[in-house]
Amino acid sequence: MARGFRVWQKKRGNRRTGSRKLGLAGELLFFAVSFLLGCGGLVVLFTMLVVPEWRVNREFVRGTCTVADKRIAPRAGEDGPLYRPEIQIEYRVDGESYKIWTYDIWSLSGWYSSGLEEKQADLNRFNVGGRYECWYDPSDPRQAVLVRGYSWWVWPVLAVPLSLLLIGGAGLTYTAWTWGKSAERRAALAKRAGALDLVDGRGRSEGEFPGIPNGSKITDSPGTTLAFRLPIAASPAWSLLVLLVAATVWNGIVAVFVRIALNAYLDGKPDWLLTAFLVPCLLMGLGLVVYFFRQLLVTTGVGPTLVEISDHPLYAGKPCRMFVSQAGRLKVKSLGVSLVCEEKATYRQGTNTRSESRRVYRQPLLERTDFEIHPGAPFESECELALPAGAMHSFKSEHNEINWKIVVRGEVAGWPKYERSFPIVVYPCASGKRE
Amino acid sequence: MGEPRVTIRLDGNGRAYRPGEVLAGEYRLISIPREDIQAVEVSILWYTEGKGEEDLAVHDFHRLSAGDGDWIDPREPGRFSTALPPSPLSYQGVLVKIRWCVRVRVFLTRGREILGERPFQLGEVPAVRDAPAAKESPAVEVPSP
Repeated sequence: MARGFRVWQKKRGNRRTGSRKLGLAGELLFFAVSFLLGCGGLVVLFTMLVVPEWRVNREFVRGTCTVADKRIAPRAGEDGPLYRPEIQIEYRVDGESYKIWTYDIWSLSGWYSSGLEEKQADLNRFNVGGRYECWYDPSDPRQAVLVRGYSWWVWPVLAVPLSLLLIGGAGLTYTAWTWGKSAERRAALAKRAGALDLVDGRGRSEGEFPGIPNGSKITDSPGTTLAFRLPIAASPAWSLLVLLVAATVWNGIVAVFVRIALNAYLDGKPDWLLTAFLVPCLLMGLGLVVYFFRQLLVTTGVGPTLVEISDHPLYAGKPCRMFVSQAGRLKVKSLGVSLVCEEKATYRQGTNTRSESRRVYRQPLLERTDFEIHPGAPFESECELALPAGAMHSFKSEHNEINWKIVVRGEVAGWPKYERSFPIVVYPCASGKRE
Repeated sequence: MGEPRVTIRLDGNGRAYRPGEVLAGEYRLISIPREDIQAVEVSILWYTEGKGEEDLAVHDFHRLSAGDGDWIDPREPGRFSTALPPSPLSYQGVLVKIRWCVRVRVFLTRGREILGERPFQLGEVPAVRDAPAAKESPAVEVPSP
């Protein structure tokens, strides 16, 4: 059926997609406005800031002058007083005498800025009655300066319209490139553009197995018992650092409000609304601190967990060997190793981007209870890692993922429970069938 | 003259295909006058469905454009054929679903479009609720050094 213009288009799964035409029109408007603002801003700022300085340095003619007087000119600004140095000079051009108040090109343009001491220091460099070099405009000798040069702050100011120009220009180019092209055609062009293969350690490329993540990181590290030592999903040091920063920032912000609330109490005017608001914030801050120390205890006290596998890439339905090692000085209540598959979806909700994960498969590989680990004698075990026949392979696209991993979960006397994940990449069996 | 539409037929009648197998078929443009057709795009593609934003990738893409001098005759069926890739396989998960299809998009005058889509299955990955039951693997203890 022929399609007309629609604000909303068909429903896909849990979502309803917006009209592509409406989206494109909105994008086009946004980028066009950015581009025009950038162009206009660049022209205005270039004319106001760059050209005058350039003319003073390149076109103004050198002469000599006598300083007749000097002063600081004040002016009221929105955030306090503003100043500029002014020096009265006398000079002659082609037999004609001129007497003007000037300093640099910005004082000629009527600019003021804060910082009285700085302006006073500028004035102190010149003595009344002294003779100095000056530079005058040959097309209008009434315009002259005592100081010239280039100002560094001009370039950061130009960065603002330049950013708008680049964002708008790039957006307009992209919109023009995609205009009138179907999603399939754009995907085909993107595929052709991204045809550079990223070959992994085993010579497999993204192009050979589309949608399957590159597993080169898994084969980076050789094992001591089996062929490959699996990397841990998240470095404990990074996790701890992120937690520490989060706990510090959150509790720092809450502390400011706590102080305000305490001052109100001490002044005899308690703010009950603020107090009610602060209670859950304080509890959350306390929770972050407790969680940080819990993770710190697990990381420093439990000792490293190592997982090694005999083969990579892994194929659905094809078993391989797995080796697990847990070090430390621990009285272990239980230690479990599982093969886990998780789906992860990323979606936009309003202006936020959210992710949701769901564990869709778990196969226990190893379970041990009530044993002790001594320093220098880690717990070690080897078992078969049998990926289920017909299981879905690993998958990664921009917003959707299917991730396989080995999960080691432990419960140790005197320590909180812990869980460590080791990602693996699973390829489909050759036939793509349940075997 | 009936409503303009696109029909797609797969050789093998849309059974589950195996990776590397050749997918072939034909499409027909029904009740579409030849002079209205500007371009026809035939794509064999996968897209995701579910909780996340839609991702889409094209495995095979052909475009016929009247403007480029391609001959498009709606009275004759158009054929397509491609060897299917090893991945991603069709998947029916909880948050993520991967669908394969043949999509024919016909561009008409005055900006109109007609879309025909024929889903098919690549591989035989069971739906998540039908996943094989968890099976305990025997562990072999290695004496600690």
